[in-house]
Amino acid sequence: MAYPYVSDREVRVLSKYFGDPMQRRVDTYVERGGYQALKKAFEMGQDAVIDEVKASGLRGRGGAGFPAGLKWSFMPKQPTKPHYLLCNADESEPGTFKDRELLRWDPHQVIEGVLIASYAIRAKQAYIYCRGEFFETTQILAKALEDAYEKGYVGKDIMGSGNDIDITVHVGGGAYICGEETGLMNSLEGRRGQPRVKPPFPAAVGAFGMPSTVNNVETLSAVPHIVTHGGQWYRQWGTEKSPGTKLFCVSGHVNKPGNYELPLGFPLMDLINDVCGGMKDGKALKAVIPGGSSVPILDAQECADCNLDYEGVQTAGSMLGCASVIVMDEDTDIVKQVRRMVQFYAHESCGQCTPCREGSAWMLQILKRIEEGRGTEEDLQTMLDMSRQMTGTTICVLSDSVGAPVVSSINKFKDEYLALIRRGERVGVA
Amino acid sequence: MSDVPFKNPGWAGNTGEYDLTEDQVRGDEFVGTRPIEGGHPSGSASYPYMLPDKDPEAPLFEGPYKDRFEKILTRYPNKQAALLPTLGLAQEVRGHVSPHTMDGVAELLGLSPAYVRGVATFYTMYNKRPVGRFLIQVCTNISCNLCGADDVMGAFLRYTDTELGETSEDGYFTVVEAECLAACGFPTCVQINSRYYENVTPADVPKIVEHLKAEGAGGD
Amino acid sequence: MSDTPSNTITLTIDGREVSVPKGTTLLKAAKQVGKDVPHYCYHDGLSSPAQCRLCLVEVEGAPKPMPACVTQAMDGQVVSTESEAALDMREGVLEFYLVNHPLDCPICDMSGECNLQDYVHAEGRDHGRSREPKRIFGRDDFGGDVLYYGDRCVMCTRCVRFMREVEQDGRLTVVERGNRSVIDTFFDRGLEGTQFSGNVVDLCPVGALVSKDFLYKARAWDLDHTPSICPSCSQGCNIELHTRDNLVQRLKPRENLEVNAFWMCDHGRLNYEWINHGDRLEAPLVREGDTVRAMGWKEALTALLQRLGDAAEKGVKVVASPLAPNEDLAALKALVEDLGGGEIVFRMPRAEDEIVLKGFPTMARRRDLAPNGRGAELLGMRRVGEDDGTGGLEGVSGHDGVVIVLGDALADQGPDFAAGSALLVYLGTHSGPAAAAADFVLPVTTFAEQEGTFTNHEGRVQRFWPALSAPGAARPAWLVLGALFAERTQSDSIRKADDAFARLVATHGAFAGLTYDDIGTRGALVSDTVPLSGD
Ligand SMILES: Cc1cc2nc3c(=O)[nH]c(=O)nc-3n(C[C@H](O)[C@H](O)[C@H](O)COP(=O)(O)O)c2cc1C
Ligand code: SF4
Ligand code: SF4
Ligand code: SF4
Ligand code: FES
Ligand code: FES
Repeated sequence: MAYPYVSDREVRVLSKYFGDPMQRRVDTYVERGGYQALKKAFEMGQDAVIDEVKASGLRGRGGAGFPAGLKWSFMPKQPTKPHYLLCNADESEPGTFKDRELLRWDPHQVIEGVLIASYAIRAKQAYIYCRGEFFETTQILAKALEDAYEKGYVGKDIMGSGNDIDITVHVGGGAYICGEETGLMNSLEGRRGQPRVKPPFPAAVGAFGMPSTVNNVETLSAVPHIVTHGGQWYRQWGTEKSPGTKLFCVSGHVNKPGNYELPLGFPLMDLINDVCGGMKDGKALKAVIPGGSSVPILDAQECADCNLDYEGVQTAGSMLGCASVIVMDEDTDIVKQVRRMVQFYAHESCGQCTPCREGSAWMLQILKRIEEGRGTEEDLQTMLDMSRQMTGTTICVLSDSVGAPVVSSINKFKDEYLALIRRGERVGVA
Repeated sequence: MSDVPFKNPGWAGNTGEYDLTEDQVRGDEFVGTRPIEGGHPSGSASYPYMLPDKDPEAPLFEGPYKDRFEKILTRYPNKQAALLPTLGLAQEVRGHVSPHTMDGVAELLGLSPAYVRGVATFYTMYNKRPVGRFLIQVCTNISCNLCGADDVMGAFLRYTDTELGETSEDGYFTVVEAECLAACGFPTCVQINSRYYENVTPADVPKIVEHLKAEGAGGD
Repeated sequence: MSDTPSNTITLTIDGREVSVPKGTTLLKAAKQVGKDVPHYCYHDGLSSPAQCRLCLVEVEGAPKPMPACVTQAMDGQVVSTESEAALDMREGVLEFYLVNHPLDCPICDMSGECNLQDYVHAEGRDHGRSREPKRIFGRDDFGGDVLYYGDRCVMCTRCVRFMREVEQDGRLTVVERGNRSVIDTFFDRGLEGTQFSGNVVDLCPVGALVSKDFLYKARAWDLDHTPSICPSCSQGCNIELHTRDNLVQRLKPRENLEVNAFWMCDHGRLNYEWINHGDRLEAPLVREGDTVRAMGWKEALTALLQRLGDAAEKGVKVVASPLAPNEDLAALKALVEDLGGGEIVFRMPRAEDEIVLKGFPTMARRRDLAPNGRGAELLGMRRVGEDDGTGGLEGVSGHDGVVIVLGDALADQGPDFAAGSALLVYLGTHSGPAAAAADFVLPVTTFAEQEGTFTNHEGRVQRFWPALSAPGAARPAWLVLGALFAERTQSDSIRKADDAFARLVATHGAFAGLTYDDIGTRGALVSDTVPLSGD
């Protein structure tokens, strides 16, 4: 088919049918083996499914990398109340564009993953929380869901197994913070999408006050494959602690940006130079944000031998996050891009926590002032202090995300700040 | 669908060989019962559109919209949870969520109007005031920004002859800055009403604007 | 019992060991070692969103600073509220507050009792670093008695939660998000018609919500605070009278979880102007033929005693007031009995409905719009008249013996009230029909000028203290009535309110066993808890 983002180094498990419109049809999906994993899961029983996913070592793909099987095992085994599975399709982290592709190219894969996860955690109702901007994507997903309902893969007595699972696609109203799992639950309940204080954790008190599990689209998309082939099979890719394949969303200054499914642990420089066809216009690499805008920036040197698994990126000084690799070439204005990211967080802060609400907006004011050449060297220290006071002090980690690009850029690209600041001083004197 | 006179929106056209039509990429052939016709009981009722034709005084709700509203209610354990989809539905028919609309939605769902206002203003997609027939949302976040989103934004403002956030005199266009639209690999991403236009460069902008003008009342 | 060892845990806070019941938050535990950790969003009477992040403390072993308001104390925990890290975090939060705060303390009504001033003074940076232009929201009339200064708001959402959780009328909300968040009503549909919204002004930890009634009226540091009881209905909410220049400037609720929690109603809150009313009776007045002469207490009481005995032979009829404290009523009762007995009636306006505070239904603006109707009934007095507090005095008015009126100005009665009586004595605070008709007018104090007790609707006897000095020669009624009684019976006169109360306790079984000491500031129930007749 015709999906342009292909490289022979890819291992296309989840993205196998990207670019093939027929995959959206339930018949095609079933012809190609679809919904067999679900059937198998029903035969295995809940605990065996959880064990298999545990064995695979599958880690959450929404950013935090929490082991999926372990998360499921926190749910009560003897339900006394309704349980909910919430599929997180609020994808809004700058640099991340994998969930939309999964939803629009292979919606049944997502639905099957949602069904298996719901079954495993003993939920009879699942919600797929799509960000509101995904009009086109939700239409495709909706059609797939309708078809699945009609064929008896969703709803009452699925495939004659006696299991009932309903799925509802819920669309958001435009707020990044609803991707945070407790913000998502509040938003689903018709509230302002403000994250909740934990504890209590979702497995105890989640959506509608009931035990709930939140998983990312990509996490759930991997589940049918793991159930079909077994946990050990999944471990043939990746590293001991980061097994499996991952969709890498590459954007920025490369020749072939796009989604590439690669084994975890893939070398960052190979991704840029080989898979993505090298730097655009042959420019030199300046910096990479390896996991979406919420993680620290790596400079070219740190990128040199960085492997893209959770531990590898941490060793290099950042985080894998959702593997959204933003590549910046030598001409990039770091201060401007940091300002743009902070602007995003200031815009998206839900506003509950004082450090995040006031800090993000103040940080933006300072960065704008520096950009305009009216900064001072003390501003840098102020921003470092603020970042420290905004990290680990709030209800969710959005506040920490403001500090990540700021601190890493001041540490690694201080001369760019100083150049702006000093030019400003000269302008002031003249 | 339309024959859009520019290179493959919704598709990273400059990155390789491909042979899909726009419809195939967008999935238009794979869209089920249009919610506008009532939708499937699985809940497609709750996905709103952004329509170019809006009536700020449209009732809340009647005809197929009433069916959709009632279907929405069946998908949640309580009425409050239906608030976001209901606001979406109200915006679909009325074009924006006015105080009057918030009040109406509050009454439908048994919530306090102030509560509804608090929720509606939390989210960016509920237009608190009227917008043009075409709401043009240009992503200027980092990945698009690295690839020239600021210039695309500038081009849209120039060719639609508007100020940021204002509606053009002919009532056609409102251009706003958007945060990341989750299409970062296809920069610059621009959302116009319900649709994503990807890989947009400043050079594409006049064509898009002309196209929209021509499309006129012909749907989104 | 909740204090069995297994339910108690011991932890160390700032180097001091403290034992608390399981489930206690660090904020409360810290209070026990005398450390008041700064906090905004937390309030005892509301849910805890833990969102202001001002109460962060360091807990040994925890990866992040913990919000003291919701973190439960654990056995063996080592907590520091004053470690370098904890102070750094809180200093940060305080600096963030000031980035956009207008610091208009000179014209802010909260100044002097403002948590932001206090916290920044105690723990803030010695200078702020923000050089950016401030965000401006301006001022908004929320309706009712409430004004909102958005720029001063610290977004603690106490006000929103009060309206949602306690009054349960969700008229307030946070609008917008992030640093554009602001508190608002539904456009021009404000707080009008709510019954308890005045509490949001008390809850607001800064000067963002202020009372229109109190606006620019006084500086906080000029106000004296006196514990008292709201006189506007039979609920008996615990309040404080805030006074300056011998005038009540405002009423504020005082915590009492058995009665009103932290709240009071708007009706009670704003019903205080009558206390300040200038038209006061300041000296005993005695009618001599067609003229009225002011005289000293001794002379007046001597004259009264001379006439009282004879006139009482034709019987005594008495109108009392449910605004009068128990002490006054008991002294009145004793005197009447000494005069041979006679019926005592009182009138009390009654509202159509109770207004219950939904989130704390123990409290309601009761139908009986006076503080001591229950006390009067317990003393055997009978309620008469209409629901608007008028009428019902035909029997008294036509009486030809002694008529004594205590505290009821008889606003609905004509100049010929008790015209045929042998002697009409009025003990009151203000001039009016009763004073105009009386042979003896004896000036007494309001509840705000004396010590005493009211018995609320459920039979809770609650104390109040003098906040104002009495005008002229006005004296507490129990003192005046007690002096008459002492003269007539040749007994010791009562000199102190608690003696007056002790005498009440000695003579009325319902009050048996109560003393001022055990009533304290919380109140104590009478033993007779039969519901108020007619309720
Ligand atoms: C500010 C913020 C935004 C987030 N946005 C998303 C998101 O858009 N999509 C997502 O899957 N997870 C997002 N997360 C992570 C979720 O909170 C949660 O960890 C995840 O959905 C769990 O799924 P997983 O275990 O499958 O990764 C976000 C977290 C934070 C703090
Ligand atoms: S850290 Fe920011 S986004 Fe997260 S809950 Fe607090 S204010 Fe909201
Ligand atoms: S107005 Fe006062 S009580 Fe309400 S959120 Fe602001 S600071 Fe808190
Ligand atoms: S309820 Fe009664 S006692 Fe309480 S404040 Fe209101 S009027 Fe006063
Ligand atoms: S940055 Fe533009 S779509 Fe993500
Ligand atoms: S008082 Fe603890 S976070 Fe606000």
